[in-house]
Amino acid sequence: MAALRGEVSWFCCGSAWGPCGSAGGGACGTCRSGNYQHAWPNTSDACLAITRPDACGVTGMSRRGCGFRHYTTNLCNGARIGTTIADCGPQTDLFCGERTCCGSACGSNRIIDLTPAAYSVIASLSTGLRPCSVDTV
Amino acid sequence: MHQRMDRRRLLATAALGGVVGATGLGSLAPEAAFAAEATAVGPGLPDPNFAEGRISKISGSMLLVTGSDTVLHSIRITDGTSIWKLHPTTFDRVAVGDGLYARGVRLPDGTLAADSVWVNIVNLHGHIASVGRNLLHLDHKGQRIVAHVVPDRSAAVYNGTPAVSDMSLLRVGRHVQVLGAWHPDTNEIDIATVYAAA
Repeated sequence: MAALRGEVSWFCCGSAWGPCGSAGGGACGTCRSGNYQHAWPNTSDACLAITRPDACGVTGMSRRGCGFRHYTTNLCNGARIGTTIADCGPQTDLFCGERTCCGSACGSNRIIDLTPAAYSVIASLSTGLRPCSVDTV
Repeated sequence: MHQRMDRRRLLATAALGGVVGATGLGSLAPEAAFAAEATAVGPGLPDPNFAEGRISKISGSMLLVTGSDTVLHSIRITDGTSIWKLHPTTFDRVAVGDGLYARGVRLPDGTLAADSVWVNIVNLHGHIASVGRNLLHLDHKGQRIVAHVVPDRSAAVYNGTPAVSDMSLLRVGRHVQVLGAWHPDTNEIDIATVYAAA
């Protein structure tokens, strides 16, 4: 898979407090906020029917199953983290065309959500959303 | 790597009561600070330098935290710890019962010397069920969430445009992502940033 450019956010899963308490283990049943994991929009036909990255013109998003490794780079600072698929998401089509930039480094459309443990390696949780690139090596 | 080791040693020194404080950590901007981090944890695995849970006791500069999976954590706040609770804040604003995520350095005694602590932070998706004066009602995974607009703090980002304080473009039925701070033991949050699609 060629590096895919877009936006990264974070989500909670597994045992959790507050509004996250109902999150559960995700589509793979293994998701934990403290693990290096992520949600991917194309884990199955059923997942893709919900997330619909194609509706935003996002191509090159390969079908990958639970446990597959992706590497996400924060385009604001170059920090990189490797994670495995644990859930279906983000719901790309709900934010079609959304664009996030750090200076001239920009990403459009939501392509990956990281767990808090993973996101906080490459950015502060309080940033919420960052431009990113995603690859497999 | 050299930068990471220096920074971690400084943080650990501060945690252990050394003379090194926040200024000893250098002048790294937030993004640069995260770029300086590196990790040896493999994809899919739990990160020993990360903790989450709710604060059960505060003793001096130590937070005793009960993880959502019932694991207990001792988290030490140092002069170099950055604390977020709706906005960057100070240790005296942290309270028993608060939820948190923390990242730092795990010391030999098992204590986590915190580099960053995010208190009550939530990042949730939902549909706007109604809009009131200075609040939004959200449907979030079958729950109703009351999201408060905080004057001089809450901001809206409409489809990637720069953040503004004007919430008037938020409409019932619209899907939003809300980054905010939870009010412990309630279904209410304060809004830091609400992201809305076009």
